Amino acid sequence: MTPNENSPVGPDQELSSECSAQAASAAPLEPVQTTTSRRDFLKGGGMLSLSSLVGAGALMAQTDDAQAAIEWAEHFQGNYRLMTPQEKAEARARLERRYSAEYGKKVTVDGTEAKDGVLMGYALNIRKCIGCRRCVKACVAENNQSRGPNPGERIEWIQVLRMERGEFSKEKMDHGYPEGLGIQVGGNAYTPAGQVLEGQYHYEPKAVPEKDATYMPIACMQCEKPPCVKVCPVRTTYREADGPVVIDYNWCIGCRMCMGACPYWARRINLTSPILPKEEMNPVTHYLGNRPRMRGVVEKCHWCLQRTRQGRYPACVEVCPVGARKFGNLLDPESEVSLILARKNVFRLKADLNTFPKFFYFYD
Amino acid sequence: MKKIAFHTLILAFCCGMISSAASAEDVTCFESRKGASEVTQRELKPGWPNVKCSPKTGAVLWWGDPFDGTVPMGEMPLLDKTAAAKAVVKPRSEKLNILPMCGTACHNGVGPKFMPPTLPKDKNPKPIPTMEGLLPDAKNLQHGRGRIWCLDCHHTTQRNKLVDNFGNPVSFDQPQLLCGKCHGDKLRDWRDGIHGKRIGEWASTGKKRWFVCTECHNPHNVQDGARNRGFIQIEPETPPQLPHGMKDAKYELLHGVSQH
Ligand code: HEC
Ligand code: HEC
Ligand code: HEC
Repeated sequence: MTPNENSPVGPDQELSSECSAQAASAAPLEPVQTTTSRRDFLKGGGMLSLSSLVGAGALMAQTDDAQAAIEWAEHFQGNYRLMTPQEKAEARARLERRYSAEYGKKVTVDGTEAKDGVLMGYALNIRKCIGCRRCVKACVAENNQSRGPNPGERIEWIQVLRMERGEFSKEKMDHGYPEGLGIQVGGNAYTPAGQVLEGQYHYEPKAVPEKDATYMPIACMQCEKPPCVKVCPVRTTYREADGPVVIDYNWCIGCRMCMGACPYWARRINLTSPILPKEEMNPVTHYLGNRPRMRGVVEKCHWCLQRTRQGRYPACVEVCPVGARKFGNLLDPESEVSLILARKNVFRLKADLNTFPKFFYFYD
Repeated sequence: MKKIAFHTLILAFCCGMISSAASAEDVTCFESRKGASEVTQRELKPGWPNVKCSPKTGAVLWWGDPFDGTVPMGEMPLLDKTAAAKAVVKPRSEKLNILPMCGTACHNGVGPKFMPPTLPKDKNPKPIPTMEGLLPDAKNLQHGRGRIWCLDCHHTTQRNKLVDNFGNPVSFDQPQLLCGKCHGDKLRDWRDGIHGKRIGEWASTGKKRWFVCTECHNPHNVQDGARNRGFIQIEPETPPQLPHGMKDAKYELLHGVSQH
């Protein structure tokens, strides 16, 4: 990474400088070349994806089959961000045909682009959260995640962390090390009150909130300086102009660099073929949002792009029974997030990492 | 005393009839407050339900149409920047079983049939056995820690109405005008979309369904005894899948702080 890549440039500028640097892998003009460079890339990285090569071979051998033709075209399409509007429309139409056949209903794949004057932002009232996990389940109902019974088949984008309130005791107050010489380490030092990011995810009480716990949901923070975007070797994950960090699932090679880079554990990989029952599948999708994913690609929260680009609140905001989740336009001083930033005490998670999330925690 | 018992019986009977109206096959789930914000599942168009519900807790997880069953919120001080059609609510009065009788069977405030025959002379707390039978929460009102009582919220002569600071009636569908008279700070946050919740269109000029105060808070119990919290506990949804190879989540039970 060169120093000037770290300078604050707009997404467009960054994009163009990157294109010239990595034209071979990220800006293919001709489909056949694309594959070659992607394969070379995979080999070079030592991450040869056998299944995709075998699959491609099999597909090319029987191109007369209509379904295979769709998949063939899909397999060799370009990076979505670099497609012409025409190519984008074709890619979406292709997917609509494939999904509609697969799920036995009319599936739409939207491609609505970012709107001028909109910068999406999110705020969560950490005092209100009761840890009920309804947001987690609403997200799954909306975003077509895999929901099978076997290991790796159940994917959830939101995690809710339970943290202890802590218990201070009189007994511990003057015990510690070194004994009798004035305590340096000890007393109630190890009482885990107010822990951040350490706690339990699998809590299962009869009712929440529990008396001795507080809860903290985490998901993608839609960073303004997203580390996941910086590390993606194929530039398939990027920040959209209106804020959310998105993924072109078709271009993802499943290398999981982004998962390692994300300080918020927000990304998930489809290790298995996703399990998505037909009747539960949400047919209203966005190309960069909740369209069904395939095996071997990474996914994460995108602030329900299929809803928010059409003006509707994200599913998790709507479902929260205590109204802890807030969403709106950071550029609009009248929006609920702007009012929260103006009036409440807010903080960003792991602000010290300079990722500049557009997801804020607050309390009243 | 006999008369009171008789009235209780009639009222209880009517309530029973109203609440058993729903058919047995319907899937009913609740939005915010179990027992007070139920919706019945149905299809808005083929394959598109009005709500998706949690199989575990019976909570609404997803709205097919956020404005289903709503009416305009009505006049709201300082909400004048929002066009009337853009702020909608679900009317509370539809959910209140006793309400249809409040202004008719008993406290109708007029004539010889007026029941009970005398109006309360003041707002002080006093035993009200009739109401306790109908509304168990009235036995132990957990709101205000002994400093407020029924008529601080309910209109003296029009019992099918709430009451504002000037003694004017307020609709049960606009409890924010009642609650706001004592909880001004909360009303302000609610009006700005910070307290409570709104669903629908996120733009500040968009159409929204606002959840009113009593969809989340039971006005007769905002303490929940020793818990001392204004929102009642609910059952959580299922936890995430265990990490590969883990049989249970016991490994998590140790708290995260190392001891040395
Ligand atoms: C803090 C204000 C407040 C106080 C105090 C209060 N109420 Fe209410 N009451 C309300 C509101 C608001 C509703 C509507 C509830 C809803 O929308 O779910 C209501 C509803 C009712 C209902 C109709 C319930 C139903 O399910 O149909 C009855 C009966 C009632 N109150 C009786 C009383 C009695 C008796 C007292 C005194 C012991 C009392 N209330 C004290 C605010 C109050
Ligand atoms: C007549 C004044 C009055 C009205 C009207 C009123 N409240 Fe209250 N409310 C109080 C008082 C007094 C307290 C007790 C504060 C305390 O002592 O902790 C309280 C407490 C509460 C609490 C718990 C706060 C806490 O920290 O324990 C909630 C929640 C609440 N009210 C909600 C409502 C709602 C919802 C309404 C409308 C249905 C409402 N109130 C109407 C006076 C009022
Ligand atoms: C979406 C649900 C929801 C709605 C709608 C809602 N509240 Fe609340 N309210 C909450 C929750 C959750 C709490 C936190 C209670 C707790 O700590 O257990 C709360 C707390 C309060 C408190 C206690 C003070 C505090 O901050 O803990 C008051 C007073 C209150 N609400 C009043 C109102 C009034 C007045 C309205 C309507 C204008 C309203 N609420 C609407 C969910 C709601």
